[in-house]
Amino acid sequence: MSYQEKRTLTSVVCGVLSLVAYCLYVLPRFGLGREATTDLKALALTMLVFIGIGIVAVIIIQILFHIFFSVGVAISESVSGAISNRTTDDKTIDRRIKAEMKEDERDKIFELKSSRIGSVFVGAGFIVSLLLLANGYPPAVMLHLLFLSFCLSSLFEGFYQLYLYKTTS
Amino acid sequence: MKIKCNNNIRKLRFFHSEMTQLELAERTGVSRQTINAIEAGKYLPSLELAFCLAEVFQVSLSEVFTYEVIEK
Repeated sequence: MSYQEKRTLTSVVCGVLSLVAYCLYVLPRFGLGREATTDLKALALTMLVFIGIGIVAVIIIQILFHIFFSVGVAISESVSGAISNRTTDDKTIDRRIKAEMKEDERDKIFELKSSRIGSVFVGAGFIVSLLLLANGYPPAVMLHLLFLSFCLSSLFEGFYQLYLYKTTS
Repeated sequence: MKIKCNNNIRKLRFFHSEMTQLELAERTGVSRQTINAIEAGKYLPSLELAFCLAEVFQVSLSEVFTYEVIEK
């Protein structure tokens, strides 16, 4: 599994965690059906805090992943160097880490392709939330649906990217 | 019209003193995984990368990539 695949997998895990946390904490507190809260200010504040925590969590997890990945590559390079009786200096390890983390045209194409899938989810979520609003559901439901569609879109983006990496390697 | 693209990268690497995928990747500025995918015929590179590959091997583009018409 390449660095880009592992990074995408980490993002997917972060997305799943934030989605689960939202479903466990925000949804029961503010309601999802016709009985959903009318206190939009409190909901908006909770969502903003949630988004802030989510962004910080993703950054921390990505930094940790980056560190562990570099350490992993350095160890594997040292071990393979010891097995084949060749000297492994810092320069070689650095070269290997840079080569593993390289982002090229293939990664960008996969990112573009998957973002198209993501935008479909966001669009569909927006339409569904508008339909619910038109059917007399409270505005809080619209906000929940928009948040969930953003989460799901990022998840499906990640899954599709993983699928593309798997089918072309 | 449908065409199938093939490549001679494996052969060219062999004739360039068994150049590794990593070395070729570094010289063309892409990842080793991308070179592997191109070599396996699972990814078609951009024209720019195709020219880079030809430049590394010091051959023309048609010697790196070939095509066959499979449906007219």
